[in-house]
Amino acid sequence: VIDGARVEPLLRELAPQVLGALVRRYGSFDACEDAVQEALLAAADQWPAEGVPEHPRAWLTTVASRRLVDEVRSDVARRRREEGAAAVAVADERSQAPAVERPREHDDTLTLLLLCCHPALSPSSQIALTLRAIGGLTTAEIASAFLVPEATMAQRISRAKATIRGRGFAPPPPEELAERMRVAEHVLYLVFNEGYTASSGPDLQRTELADEAIRLTRLLRRLAPRDDEVAGLLALMLLTDARRAARTGEGGALVPLAEQDRSLCDRAAIAEGVALVDGALASGPLGSYQLQAAIAAVHVEAPSAEATDWPQVLALYGLLERIAPGPTVALNRAVAVGMVDGPRAGLAALEAIEGMEGHHRVEAVRAHLLEMAGDRAAAHDAYRRAARLTTSLPEQRYLEARAARLG
Amino acid sequence: MRYMLMIYDNPDTRELFTSPEGRELGAEVDALMERLTESGELVGGEALADPSNTRTVRVQQGAPVVTDGPLAEAKEHFGGYLIVECETIDRAVEIAAAWPSARFAPMEVRPIMDPAGMEM
Repeated sequence: VIDGARVEPLLRELAPQVLGALVRRYGSFDACEDAVQEALLAAADQWPAEGVPEHPRAWLTTVASRRLVDEVRSDVARRRREEGAAAVAVADERSQAPAVERPREHDDTLTLLLLCCHPALSPSSQIALTLRAIGGLTTAEIASAFLVPEATMAQRISRAKATIRGRGFAPPPPEELAERMRVAEHVLYLVFNEGYTASSGPDLQRTELADEAIRLTRLLRRLAPRDDEVAGLLALMLLTDARRAARTGEGGALVPLAEQDRSLCDRAAIAEGVALVDGALASGPLGSYQLQAAIAAVHVEAPSAEATDWPQVLALYGLLERIAPGPTVALNRAVAVGMVDGPRAGLAALEAIEGMEGHHRVEAVRAHLLEMAGDRAAAHDAYRRAARLTTSLPEQRYLEARAARLG
Repeated sequence: MRYMLMIYDNPDTRELFTSPEGRELGAEVDALMERLTESGELVGGEALADPSNTRTVRVQQGAPVVTDGPLAEAKEHFGGYLIVECETIDRAVEIAAAWPSARFAPMEVRPIMDPAGMEM
């Protein structure tokens, strides 16, 4: 008898491999995905009590294939009953014990991931489908992480599967591959952000999302080892997650970067992240995740907030603004300008940003810069405005507390 | 992001929706709910009883003081809500605009506070 906690990671790892083998064999992603979920549930139920089978992947593939065949049979039977019509052929007999297709499993998993991140899907559907089909999470787990009822999430997943039905199971054409990889990276980045956020209350599922995003990005890195942006993304996640323990105070309170206790940071994650980002930056064209990771490295490597190398942070934001301009980058750059050239220069940079009017982060940065400039009354008002604008409870508590300090 | 779509009623709209002429409006509601369920956007929702069934509760000097009827007499009252999860507030507004009672009384769309937050 083995511990259920050891079964789960194994199942998560095998899930996309089994699904890949099934989809390659039977074609229907939609039906195969359902069958694999059922096989995973059966394994989670049986393995802890009966032991892990000698060939766990073959076990899952066989069980999932049987489910799939049963499903096809009952569909056919239903159709026959409904239509009272002639027989519809079922090509299932050869499927009893499918051979495991080892050489292709890597490519299959990548093809699956890119299918789950298909541009025809909305970001929330891409996320849900990726977590289920590649991550091996149950619908209930995904629903709980995103704070919606299971029925809502189930519906979202089945709609996503309907959207990509008939897309075919093949890698994207070479001219589309780079763009499709960027979409997949963005999906993993969004999953990470969901889990990375500070959280009040017992929302343990959310930190598990950060772990899951890191695990899936490691998988993507194995599948596409020469893609420097994947390395950059993994580095960004590791370097950000390294501060997890320092980021949240008592009762889920948000601890700002400047006040985080660096001794709580995860040294192993920092070392791995720094090595990854250094390697990626040295090897090829610059990418947005690589630069964000480089910035995260500067922050997390500083022994204290005061010792942060802000000129380097500013230079990196300058590069980032050139290759991936946008209001969020401009906002972060304004903070760095404030730290290097003084708060008034930072405020001037803030004024120049377009497209983020009425956003709480603009008001929070304004408040911070005004406080640095010694304008307590204006800083107080800006913190209050930011507190009213945010839709996050821990952010609101933090911003109200900052305002109260300036009374 | 989750949003609450707050549905406002007045005595006329409630009568309209429950009358035989309101059957088509009811069918529209059902169809919209089905679409929102199908799209995976619907998180929940309830309709509230007539405001005359309300008890208003205040605690004064440590003791509850209960009065019959709503907090404030108003022409329009809070009649029910939907909770949806959408990518943008624009989409939530679009759903509110499609809700049949919006033709007779206003709807309010408000973000629901997230228990998580970003680093500052």
